[in-house]
Amino acid sequence: MEAYLIAIAIVSAVYVLLALGLTLQYGMTGIINFGHVGFFAVGAYAAALLAEQGWHPLPAFLAAGVLAAAAAWPLGMVSLRLREDYFAIVSLGFSEVVRLVVTSEKWLTKGVQGIPGIPKLFTGLGVGLPNSLAVLAVLLLVNGLAIYAMRRIVRSPFGRMIEAIRDNEDAVKALGKDPARFKVQVLMLGALLAGFAGAFYAHYIGYISPDQFVPLVTFQIWMAIIMGGVGRVSGALAGTLILMLFLEGSRFLRDVLPFISEVEMASVRLGIVGLALILFTLYRPGGIMGEARRT
Amino acid sequence: MSLEISNLTKAYGGLRVVDDVMISVPTTGITGIIGPNGAGKSTLFSLITGFIEADAGHVSLGSVALDGLPPYRRARAGMVRTFQVPREYTHLSVRENLAAAAPDQTGESLAGLFLTPGKVRAEEKAVAEKVAATLDFLRLTRVADLAAGGLSGGQKKLLELGRALMTGARLILLDEPFAGVNPVLIEELSARIHELNARGTGFLIIEHDLGALSRLVSAMHVMDRGRIIASGTPSAVLSDTAVREAYLGGGGKAA
Amino acid sequence: MISFAELALNGIVSGLVIGLAALAVTLVFGIARFANAATGDVMTLGAYAALSGAGLTGSLVLGGLFGAAAGAVVGLIGYWLVFRKLGGRSSVAALLASIGVAFMIRAVMGVAFGHGQKVFPMPMVRPWRILDIRVHPNDVNLCAVVLVTLAIVFAILHLTPIGRQMRAVADDPSLARVSGISPQKVMMALWALAGAVSGVAGTVVGIKTVVSPEMGWELLLPAFAAAILGGIGHAGGAIVAGIALGIVQEVATPFVGFTYKIALSFVVLLAVLLVRPKGLFGTVAGAR
Repeated sequence: MEAYLIAIAIVSAVYVLLALGLTLQYGMTGIINFGHVGFFAVGAYAAALLAEQGWHPLPAFLAAGVLAAAAAWPLGMVSLRLREDYFAIVSLGFSEVVRLVVTSEKWLTKGVQGIPGIPKLFTGLGVGLPNSLAVLAVLLLVNGLAIYAMRRIVRSPFGRMIEAIRDNEDAVKALGKDPARFKVQVLMLGALLAGFAGAFYAHYIGYISPDQFVPLVTFQIWMAIIMGGVGRVSGALAGTLILMLFLEGSRFLRDVLPFISEVEMASVRLGIVGLALILFTLYRPGGIMGEARRT
Repeated sequence: MSLEISNLTKAYGGLRVVDDVMISVPTTGITGIIGPNGAGKSTLFSLITGFIEADAGHVSLGSVALDGLPPYRRARAGMVRTFQVPREYTHLSVRENLAAAAPDQTGESLAGLFLTPGKVRAEEKAVAEKVAATLDFLRLTRVADLAAGGLSGGQKKLLELGRALMTGARLILLDEPFAGVNPVLIEELSARIHELNARGTGFLIIEHDLGALSRLVSAMHVMDRGRIIASGTPSAVLSDTAVREAYLGGGGKAA
Repeated sequence: MISFAELALNGIVSGLVIGLAALAVTLVFGIARFANAATGDVMTLGAYAALSGAGLTGSLVLGGLFGAAAGAVVGLIGYWLVFRKLGGRSSVAALLASIGVAFMIRAVMGVAFGHGQKVFPMPMVRPWRILDIRVHPNDVNLCAVVLVTLAIVFAILHLTPIGRQMRAVADDPSLARVSGISPQKVMMALWALAGAVSGVAGTVVGIKTVVSPEMGWELLLPAFAAAILGGIGHAGGAIVAGIALGIVQEVATPFVGFTYKIALSFVVLLAVLLVRPKGLFGTVAGAR
């Protein structure tokens, strides 16, 4: 039971990192990132491949985050100057292309077979509870740092500008500031967090393959931040909690109802995420707590 | 110094919304552009400020050619616009709305923010003082810490003017500043504009409401169907027959 | 060994399909003003409906009509239950809701028809040889279907009052209010038309390849790319761009490999946004 709870906590912390990135991008700046899973995938594959090369986890994790952020740069430069929905399309396309690349470049990523045997972290402390707790502690530390940095940013002139951009980009331009410059930076910061999340995920699960990085993951994060309340760090936390309850609950349901096949359950999960996205945008755009801002 | 507009043209599907407009706007005075609805006034503003790309023509401010520059670069050249429907940052407070318009802030770059916190603090203090002065000047201090989205229409117009002031622009372009504003606040706004002009800020004002505008401006251009049909002092322009026809015959209200 | 000419010919067939999908995207984008991510899954639904219809009636033509009708009905339902209520909200609300609609359609298809691939019962026909190029009669028929569909859509857009109103709203949304056009009527016509076009597109893809719950989603990116390349809201542009994209994809396949076909759309998309965001035939710039 303890092992189970710790496992859940670790996966939750990975999702929180993703949700924080999207909160920064969408909730605070208004960037419609429909390709979050692409940056997550870049981080996961980078960490796994560097571990294979024998890199120490610390530089490998940094490289994973930096690579994800670097991937965000050209996307932002090309499309964040344009209408906001163009970036939605471009980012969605990006995440699909990342999946195509890791599927096709078998020499590097072993294609659909995936990369097995990614080493667990902190095995020196003892396999099982001790090293899992260490992983959780580091994840919580990274989350704490991310939240601290976000709080600091929100209360700064930079944070004032990104919220201004979210509220009215044209006014920002009219007053002599270039929204694209801010948006590209925010996009890269969010991608950095997603890259770290990917690295933790790869090392914790121990096996990655292209079908773990489908657009559904992106929209689960969207569902989480919308349910929790867009634009607030507390919303990202609350939303991730709901998301985990949903994901674990549906797994539990499968155990109780064995006549439902795994693919059917996948369809049901997809349908519920879809329904939640529709119902929340229609009726509770401020999240379950209500209030806050309408999308 | 002046804003020079020459041969500016924009057509949509064969219809010339702005047609070969040629005007010169001094950055010292208060200049008005009037015209009936659909005359192309707002499009002209968008062409000048770069929000819409012109089909032909040139715009320059002083010695700086603005053609092809994006809106934010044009604003930085010293020419800032407001919008017909106010575009306040709804979730930010009035104070934050003004502070966000202050130019060249170190704290607006991530590197500056985390590497030189002392400099950022000092700049923020200076901005806060400037914001307080602006709030006071526009009589907005009472609502300074409310979310801007909740202001009245007239207050939002004041806020837009305030943000333009914060940029330190030499020329402020106001898009229908009096539309939907109650008469008392119109007087208030007019008085502020006069005062600012006396201190050296130039204005170019688009207005539908002739009465308020003609008392305010020193020079006036009349626009109809995309063209400038008359220019001169308010009294000369208003007695022009072509203008009376465009306005009264065109169904526009001459207040 | 497939010759260059045969690849190009193949490209025209898949290009016409991309063009149809892009037409559905561009109509909605031009009039309802958002990128409808459910377009791909409405195609999937059309393909399954056509498959069922063909199975029931034994006729592929009737099956195709089933596909178009199912697409139109789902388009209308989506509008009535979801998108109608999002008018006046920001585009992200409609975008997210369209993702939700897409997921729900795919989930229902997955549960109802399973995840396996299904094929249309097609008679085996020997390909014709024209100037040493192999031409499949089926491809010719599919092209004919697409062309007839396009002719009907353009006739509706240009010759009927509701079509003219749709184009007017696409050109200038504020026009609708002053000229007495009923926005509700225009929207319903739009969603029915876009849905039917998606349904036909899905059916054609299903006949040409296989039917599976993911088939439409995989065509979404090419459809978006073609719609933007053609210029948002420009129906003819979407078709031309779709055909161009189809040919490029097929001709490039021997060089980049089968899996990177979709990635080509992404490259084209980025190139268009970088060089000419308003598209080849567009009048509305992407920049606000």
